[in-house]
Amino acid sequence: MKLAIQIIKNTWEEYMMYRLSFVLWRVRSVMQLVVTYFLWWAIFSQHTELFGYTQSMMLTYILLGAIVRPLVMGTRTQEVGGMINDGSLSNYLIRPMNIFRFFFSRDIGDKTLNILFAVVEIALLLFFLRPPIFLQANGLILFFTAVSLLIGMMIFFYFSLLLSFLGFWSPDVWAPRFLSFVLAEFFTGILFPLDILPAPLFLLSKLLPFSYFIYFPLKVYLGQLQMSSILIGIFVGFLWIGGMKFLASLFWKKGLRVYAAEGR
Amino acid sequence: MVISVSHLKKYYKVQQKDPGLFGSLSSLFSRKYQTVEAVNDISFEIDEGELVGFIGPNGAGKTTTLKCLSGLLYPTNGRVSVMGFTPYERKNVYLKQISLVMGQKNQLWWDLPAVETFLLNKEIYEIPDDQYENTLKELTELLDVEKLFKTPVRKLSLGERMKMELIAALIHAPKVLFLDEPTIGLDVVMQKHMRDFIKEYNERHKSTILLTSHYMEDVRQLARRVIIIDQGKLLYDGTLTQLVKKFAKYKVLSIILESYIPPDALGEIGELVAYDFPRAVIRVPRSASNVAAAQLLQKFPVDDLNIEEPDIEDVIRDVFSRL
Repeated sequence: MKLAIQIIKNTWEEYMMYRLSFVLWRVRSVMQLVVTYFLWWAIFSQHTELFGYTQSMMLTYILLGAIVRPLVMGTRTQEVGGMINDGSLSNYLIRPMNIFRFFFSRDIGDKTLNILFAVVEIALLLFFLRPPIFLQANGLILFFTAVSLLIGMMIFFYFSLLLSFLGFWSPDVWAPRFLSFVLAEFFTGILFPLDILPAPLFLLSKLLPFSYFIYFPLKVYLGQLQMSSILIGIFVGFLWIGGMKFLASLFWKKGLRVYAAEGR
Repeated sequence: MVISVSHLKKYYKVQQKDPGLFGSLSSLFSRKYQTVEAVNDISFEIDEGELVGFIGPNGAGKTTTLKCLSGLLYPTNGRVSVMGFTPYERKNVYLKQISLVMGQKNQLWWDLPAVETFLLNKEIYEIPDDQYENTLKELTELLDVEKLFKTPVRKLSLGERMKMELIAALIHAPKVLFLDEPTIGLDVVMQKHMRDFIKEYNERHKSTILLTSHYMEDVRQLARRVIIIDQGKLLYDGTLTQLVKKFAKYKVLSIILESYIPPDALGEIGELVAYDFPRAVIRVPRSASNVAAAQLLQKFPVDDLNIEEPDIEDVIRDVFSRL
């Protein structure tokens, strides 16, 4: 636990060293949010209800998406690919520690810092724009929201590590990561709720794990899912965690056998 | 015995590419690989508390051997054992007792002051507070770096950074230490500091140290025993003095003359390596050194004569170039 705290602390301090870079990253996030927000605001100015969503539901979805995104998808695991290829992974391998735990702690550092800023930004947006916001009061639903967020975090963590572990076999992982994330992002539901997609695409999104990153937790929060759908979703989510974790561990094990500790 | 390596082999598959754009394009479709035998059947053993110099030209396989010993690489073949552990299993009990320092690699958090890395290592190695304080104090005093603790690592000079690297690597008081060119790129003063520190540390903690370096001075000052490898093969394992006896086929006579003698005349005794009147240096076959010395004294007006072993650097250069 003390180790985790030290890792989180170091991660925070690292960000503080690159203040400008971090601030610009936040500006980018806010811009993205504001654009999506006004797009949907404009669309709803003509309608009271669309695709089964009221304006307040949709705007709540978009705004909360901006908090869920750094919570679930905030990560530093993209570094691992580079570390494998420039050999700096050795620094971690020669120490008595679990690399998965190390990076999970690092991710928590990343997530907490980004959420802190996201919350402040959204509070400001709420203050200036005063959008109609849907607040969930049902304790049980809130509990399931938290569980589904945790599931999203875990799937994302292993998925991202898995892509970085490709570095064991390929001298650069940027391209596969980039492509995977462009595809994944569409199916997370960050831009719009997935159930407004045409049926075949929506079905496809259900076969992929990415909806757990944004769409599923938000749907649970908005109270738009039946209890049975929530429970099935959570069950399937756990299967995805298991599968991803298995694959990531397998890649890690196989990868270490071919790891060349390059760089000299 | 602490370290035991037997018939260690490590081969790499390395991609080959023809020069130019065409070579790059064709390598997109069919890749050619070549097997590099970085370490090819090496065996040696090291006892507790020994400080062994591990030398060889670039690409000899020194670093690969160290990486196998510290568990970073899976050996292609052979057996490696350190303190009874198999390194590549990377058990925590094992990793807690070793350390690897690479002079050309940075282990510290680049953007943060070095002390943050020390604190992180404290948690990783689960070092108790008082032990951490004591070790840190001891190392800081030995290396004289306290005022640098708060400077971000990337702002440190190479020498300062190397000292911090050593602290980070030693904070858990490892029993076995692998040092891969700890003095590389340092100026002569800093090199000496490092050497003194390593020597002092070895004596104080009785830790086993395997050290590679291209600077013969490091090896001469620190290691009684050396292991020489080249092209993945072991060439020599023994003391430095034995090395000179075994490989140096000649001795060096350095003389001071009373009056000028033409170089040709001196050349009759042996190979005249240097002549700057009144000093002359003559290289003679090892077995004939006494005869040659007697001849010199008889024939020429010699003021002073010394029979010396050749410089260790020359011997080693000889060993490498003979291959």
